[in-house]
Amino acid sequence: MLSTELSMPAAIAEKTKIDVKNLNFYYGQSKALKDITLSLRERSVTAFIGPSGCGKSTLLRVFNRIYELYPKQSAEGQVLLDGKNILDRTQDLNLLRTKIGMVFQKPTPFPMSIYENIAFGVRLYEKIGKAEMDVRVEQALKRAALWSEVKDKLNASGLSLSGGQQQRLCIARTVAVKPEVILLDEPASALDPLSTAKIEELIDELQADYTIVIVTHNMQQAARVSKQTAFMYLGELVEFDSTEKIFTSPREKRTQDYITGRFG
Amino acid sequence: MSAAQEALPAVRSSREATVKRFAFTDAVFHALTRAAAILVLVLLGGVAVSLFAGSWQALSTFGFSFLTSESWNPVTEKFGALAPIYGTIVTSAIAIVIAVPIGIGIAIFLTELCPRPLRRPIGMAVELLAGIPSIIYGIWGLFVFAPFLQTTVQPFVIGIFHGVPGLNSLFAGPPYGIGLLTSSLILAIMVLPFITSITKDVFDTVPAVLKESAYGIGCTTWEVTRHVVIPYTRIGIMGGVMLGLGRALGETMAVTFVIGNAHRISVSLFAPATTISATIANEFTEAVGDLYTSSLVALGLILFVITFLILAIARYMLMRIDARTGA
Repeated sequence: MLSTELSMPAAIAEKTKIDVKNLNFYYGQSKALKDITLSLRERSVTAFIGPSGCGKSTLLRVFNRIYELYPKQSAEGQVLLDGKNILDRTQDLNLLRTKIGMVFQKPTPFPMSIYENIAFGVRLYEKIGKAEMDVRVEQALKRAALWSEVKDKLNASGLSLSGGQQQRLCIARTVAVKPEVILLDEPASALDPLSTAKIEELIDELQADYTIVIVTHNMQQAARVSKQTAFMYLGELVEFDSTEKIFTSPREKRTQDYITGRFG
Repeated sequence: MSAAQEALPAVRSSREATVKRFAFTDAVFHALTRAAAILVLVLLGGVAVSLFAGSWQALSTFGFSFLTSESWNPVTEKFGALAPIYGTIVTSAIAIVIAVPIGIGIAIFLTELCPRPLRRPIGMAVELLAGIPSIIYGIWGLFVFAPFLQTTVQPFVIGIFHGVPGLNSLFAGPPYGIGLLTSSLILAIMVLPFITSITKDVFDTVPAVLKESAYGIGCTTWEVTRHVVIPYTRIGIMGGVMLGLGRALGETMAVTFVIGNAHRISVSLFAPATTISATIANEFTEAVGDLYTSSLVALGLILFVITFLILAIARYMLMRIDARTGA
C-alpha cells in the first residue's frame, strides 16, 4: 500500500470512513467472503469490481446489514464506521441504515407519489413542517438532477417515471435522508447509455459530500467514476488500490487478466 | 429441372396441409373457449331470469314495500324483507370488521416476522379452518360457542356498558347466547382463512428488493408493511376481503344455527335476528302457498343484487384508487 500513498500524496490527509477488518461472510454453510480487509476513504468513490459471484454485492450488503433480513446469512469480523463496529449486536439497525443509504440494481420506487417517495424517508426520523418538507424534496430532486423533469408532476406515481428517472428518484430518496455513506449496487446496469451517463455524472457530484461505494460489472464505469478500486474474485479481495493503478499497472496477474478481459 | 426444384411443390403442399390442420385446431380451440365463456353468461342470465320470474308474484303484490317492511307473517301472508336484509348486511359487516385486521395481522406475521419453522404449521392451520364444513361451525356455534357467550362474555359486556349511553342499547340483554353478534363472530372465523391466505399470497409477491430499499432508508418492519407492502398489494388485499365478504353474505348453514331466526330488527347486537339465506333455508320446506314461496325467491333475488352491488362498488373503489395514484 506504500506505493499508493506515494503516488497520491493528497490521499494521506484523507480520512477513513469505513474500515473493514477480517470480514467473513456466510450464506448458510458456504463462505462467500474470505477474510476481507480494506479501508474506504471519506468523500470519495470506491468501486468493487469482479466477475459474478465474487462477493462484491455481498460485501456491499454487509455495510448496512441488509443481509440480516434473511435468517441464514451471517457476517463475522469487524466493519468500523467512524471507528465504531457496525456488526456489533448493540448497533441499532434502523439508525445504521439512515446513515448508510443504498440504491439497488433495479429502480425500486415505493408505491406512492414522487413527492411522497422522498418525503416518506425524511418523515421517519424528522418532524418537519410542510414548507420545510417541500424544500427538502426539491433539494433532493435537484441533487439527483431530476427536479426539472418532475417538478410539475410531483403527485404522480413514482412508478409512472421511466427507468432512468426512477433510478434517479431512488438516489434522491436516499440523499434526502442525509446519509453519510451511499451504497450503489450496480445502479446503472438496468439503464440505457444516456441514463447511465446521467447517473455517473451524479455520482461524480455526490462525492463532494458523501462517501460512495459502487458495485459494478462495467469496468469502464469503475474506471470513470471511482478513485479507488477493489478487485474481488471468489470471495477474496485480490487487489485494492487507486483506480488508476488497478487499470494501468495492477500488481496481481488475476487483476490484469480480468481487466483485459481474459476471464470473467 | 433439378430434383430439388421438383421436390419443392410437394413440400409446399404438405406445408399447406399442415397449416390448414393448424387453422382447423385453432378454430376449434377458439370456439371451445368462447363457448365456455358464454356458458358463464348464460348461467348467470338464467339464474337472474328465474329469480325474477319466481319472485314476480311477491314483488307485484307488495311492490316497493317488500324492501321497507319489517313484517314477515306467513299467517296473514304479509311479507317484508327488511329484517333479513338488515341481518345479512350487519352480520357480514361485523364479520369483515373483525376478520380483516386479524387476517392481515396473521399474514404480516407469517410473511415478515414468523420464524421459518413455524411458518408452515401456522399457515396450514389457517388453511384448515377453510376446510371445516359450515355445518360443523353451526353445531359448534350452537352447542359450544353460544352457551359460552351466554354464560360469560355477554353478561359481562352487558354489565360494563350498562350505564353508557348508546353502547347500553347496542349491548342490551337478555343474553340468549345466539343472536346477531354470535353469527358475526362465527362468520368472522369462517372468512378469516380466505382473507389470510390471499393476503399472505399477495404479500409474498412484493419484490424483495423493494422491501430491502425501504429497510435501507431505515424503516422498521411496521413502516415497511404499512407504507410499502400494503399499498403495493392493496388490490390483492381488496380481492381477499371481497371474497370473504361474498362468503359471509351467502353463508347459510352456520348462520342458521346461531342467529336465532327472528324476523325483527333490534338495536342490540345480542338479540336474535335473521339473514336472507337463513330465512330461505329455514322456511322453504314449510312455505305453503305461492305468495310465501315467491317471497322467499324474492329474498334470493335481493341477495343476488346485494352481492352484485358490493362487487361493483369494490371494483369502482379500486378504479378510483388506481386513478389517484396513477399506477
